[in-house]
Amino acid sequence: MKTYFLASLAILLACYYVGSAFAADSGAGEVEMLVFPDAYSAGSVSNGGTISGVVKFEGDMPEMKVLEITKDQAVCGATEKYDESVVVGEGNALKNTIVYLIDVSKGKDFDKATKLEMDQKGCKFTPHVQIVPVGARLTMLNTDKVNHNVHIFSSINKPVNKQQTKNRRKMPLAGVKKAEGPVSVKCDIHGWMSAWIAYIPHPYFAVTNEKGEFTLEDVPAGTYKLGYWHEACGTNSGSPASVTVEAGGSVTQDFTLKLK
Amino acid sequence: MKNRNVTLLMLVLGIVVGTLRCAVTYAQNAPEASEKGKEVYDQSCAHCHGTEGRGDGSAAENLLPRPRDFTRGLYKIRSTESGQLPTDQDLFDIITIGMPGSSMPGWETSLSADDRWEVVAYIKTFYDGFKAGEAPREISLDGKIPYAEQSVETGKGLYVELGCVECHGNIGRGDGTSAPTLTDEWGFQTWPANLAQSWNFRGGADTEAIFKRFIGGIAGSPMPAFEGDSFLHFGLTVEESKRLTELENKDEMTETEEAESEKFYEKMDAAVNLALNRTEGIELTAAEQQTYDDAMQVVYEKSWHLANYVKSLAPEQRPEPAIGKNVLRSQYVQDALPGMEDPVWETLQARHFPLVGQIVIEPRQFNPTIDSVDVKSFYNDTEVAFLFTWDDRTHTIGDETDETTGKPLEDALAIQFPVKVPQGPTAPKPYFLWGGRLPVYLWHWKASTPEQVTELTAKGINAAEVQEAQGALQAQGVYTDGQYKLWVKRALKTDDKKDLQLDPGVFVPIAFSAWDGANGDVDAKRVVSSWYTFVLEPVPSSRRFVYPPLIAILSLGLLFGLRAAVQRRNSVS
Ligand code: HEC
Ligand code: HEC
Repeated sequence: MKTYFLASLAILLACYYVGSAFAADSGAGEVEMLVFPDAYSAGSVSNGGTISGVVKFEGDMPEMKVLEITKDQAVCGATEKYDESVVVGEGNALKNTIVYLIDVSKGKDFDKATKLEMDQKGCKFTPHVQIVPVGARLTMLNTDKVNHNVHIFSSINKPVNKQQTKNRRKMPLAGVKKAEGPVSVKCDIHGWMSAWIAYIPHPYFAVTNEKGEFTLEDVPAGTYKLGYWHEACGTNSGSPASVTVEAGGSVTQDFTLKLK
Repeated sequence: MKNRNVTLLMLVLGIVVGTLRCAVTYAQNAPEASEKGKEVYDQSCAHCHGTEGRGDGSAAENLLPRPRDFTRGLYKIRSTESGQLPTDQDLFDIITIGMPGSSMPGWETSLSADDRWEVVAYIKTFYDGFKAGEAPREISLDGKIPYAEQSVETGKGLYVELGCVECHGNIGRGDGTSAPTLTDEWGFQTWPANLAQSWNFRGGADTEAIFKRFIGGIAGSPMPAFEGDSFLHFGLTVEESKRLTELENKDEMTETEEAESEKFYEKMDAAVNLALNRTEGIELTAAEQQTYDDAMQVVYEKSWHLANYVKSLAPEQRPEPAIGKNVLRSQYVQDALPGMEDPVWETLQARHFPLVGQIVIEPRQFNPTIDSVDVKSFYNDTEVAFLFTWDDRTHTIGDETDETTGKPLEDALAIQFPVKVPQGPTAPKPYFLWGGRLPVYLWHWKASTPEQVTELTAKGINAAEVQEAQGALQAQGVYTDGQYKLWVKRALKTDDKKDLQLDPGVFVPIAFSAWDGANGDVDAKRVVSSWYTFVLEPVPSSRRFVYPPLIAILSLGLLFGLRAAVQRRNSVS
């Protein structure tokens, strides 16, 4: 035992001799984050306004890469899977963009009736971007009878990496303590599976649908910074849009995003 | 024993020189040491873990896994539940023992216990999460189930049921179907542990360690935690779980059966809810705690069986290397030599040849995936047969090519001999990396042509030639469950002057190179051994060979060769 240990140490030291001559690049690009208010107080909102709009993609349409399905072909390979980091629909509509109020400090409470689920059907996370209120439990669905491991790369909250076996159809995850994200979600067993979760401290967040649309309802009258986040196009946190909502009124604010 | 001492000596020498060099480098920019822990850290740890604890020390770049980045609070080896920080004792132990299978050294002999405690306190300052000072929740080791055949058998079923197979493979050699695509928290490729080689486990190979590893998970790696509700029917007793499985397997349930199963589901949901409450920090009432504990008892029982099964996959200890009394001795048989599948091979104990990454000549392999090759051999009056086995997590047969060389990436093994056996213990042997002035004779086998072994002659790692006269060898290779098995047979004597000629009783140098295509091994980038020896054991054996001193001298020669080569390189760069 000891000999092996010493041997590895010696080899390691040999590495030092020659080590400095080589360079390798390391680390992946930083993911930009959402901006959260320092505090938020929830109550009832009467006669709030609505902010809605459409997010469009500008630039050469990136081709959606077909993912290589490396295992569990019968279940995972039954339909073709695409890299969903940029999903552009008709009329350049950009799906999976989070649009949200950056500087709201008071407003409505979360709608507790909303079902918080993320499905793994066909070895693909649906939705690709999920917003989860702080403290709420997200339920992971597994109806395919294959093993998954739900790996959530949180750093402010505790990271999660938990096996969801083929027999576990619904696996609720503990609520988190702090607003964070979006954080990456992966299944290491099926390395191509990728999604994002944002743990949000207030309900003024929306994720654009396939038409690129978003709606924020019951916004107390006022002027707000409207932010967005997109996996491949980044954020506008540096220069967010400014929108003014009047009581009972509605405003539209569209965005056009480019690849980072 | 004697040659072991010399090996030790040479290693100590290497360490002393290495440490001196490090000390010289770091004395220059060492800031005034304010407190002891910082001083120890800056001196012994910072060149790997970085002065700021970010895992970016000057030596970090060539190491995989990378030295840990302490600023994220991610620790692999914990006696605590998933999502929890390690205990101080965990940190102290890992610093004391080190992490086998990685470059993290143990500090038991080079740092006093006081210094190790000081440095524990210091590395905790890199991560704010420690500041809260909360005691992390430890995994209970109560109710340990002793190692027994029945328990191992039960554990085997759980290994499949829980999906360990996905990464670790059918019998644990790290060859699961997910193995080739795993990356760690920092985006570097990583491999599932080979459970048959538990000497490479980072956190120790005893049953308790294994138990804690899969319950708590290995933070920063893809290895998940197997928490309570990852287990089938969490919340039910073993009997209830059996009954529910029965019900679920029915084509149609009667109304009473529906109601019965519904009760089970409610019970399970309640248990899961308690587990989540607990994780979220909601205090459980005494009754709730009891329900939770009952549920966990079932899980822990299963976990002990699983830990016993994992334990059963590896030998108690790493086999001794094939030196001294463990030299490879080919056994004489009167009749035809056994074929690959002949059960007579089982009667021999394999000899163990450790392999290390080749780091002398470009391209180098700093992160080897092949640990060792095990060898058995028989001979008769005219022929010799060898059986080589080695673990490789992937079966790579050249479908992909290396980007820099354009050559196919392929698993392979080469067995190396000198062309002429050195006469006497002081006679020089060829350079261990495929010869030099003195040539070597090689058997080169590739996974894409498993029935073929090519004979080569080489005068250097990049100077190998395929021999003109081929065909003296018979070979058969198979890959199953993360392991290669290669059978080779050759005549003792051949007509070819470039071939090694074999005689009973003569000690013949032997060495190995192996390539794991999936790990980017190609050309000089590979794993290698230094020279070992083998002998056709004469019958009856009456002569005595005084061999250990020879090995000792040769090892020493190897050390100097290595150092010279490295220095040469150093002076060039
Ligand atoms: C030669 C480089 C090297 C040196 C020197 C070194 N380490 Fe490490 N250390 C590593 C590597 C590499 C890892 C990660 C291993 C892995 O992830 O499997 C590591 C991991 C660790 C861990 C994490 C353990 C866990 O459970 O995850 C601790 C703690 C640690 N080192 C402490 C120290 C301390 C304290 C010192 C100095 C006394 C030190 N190391 C010196 C390379 C080094
Ligand atoms: C998603 C892939 C994956 C699954 C599923 C998985 N493991 Fe692992 N396992 C790994 C990886 C990767 C490592 C290496 C971790 C490291 O050291 O970085 C590992 C390491 C280990 C180790 C070595 C620990 C040490 O101290 O080095 C043990 C033991 C182990 N796993 C047991 C299990 C058991 C038992 C199961 C099933 C209950 C399991 N694993 C399921 C990926 C997996």
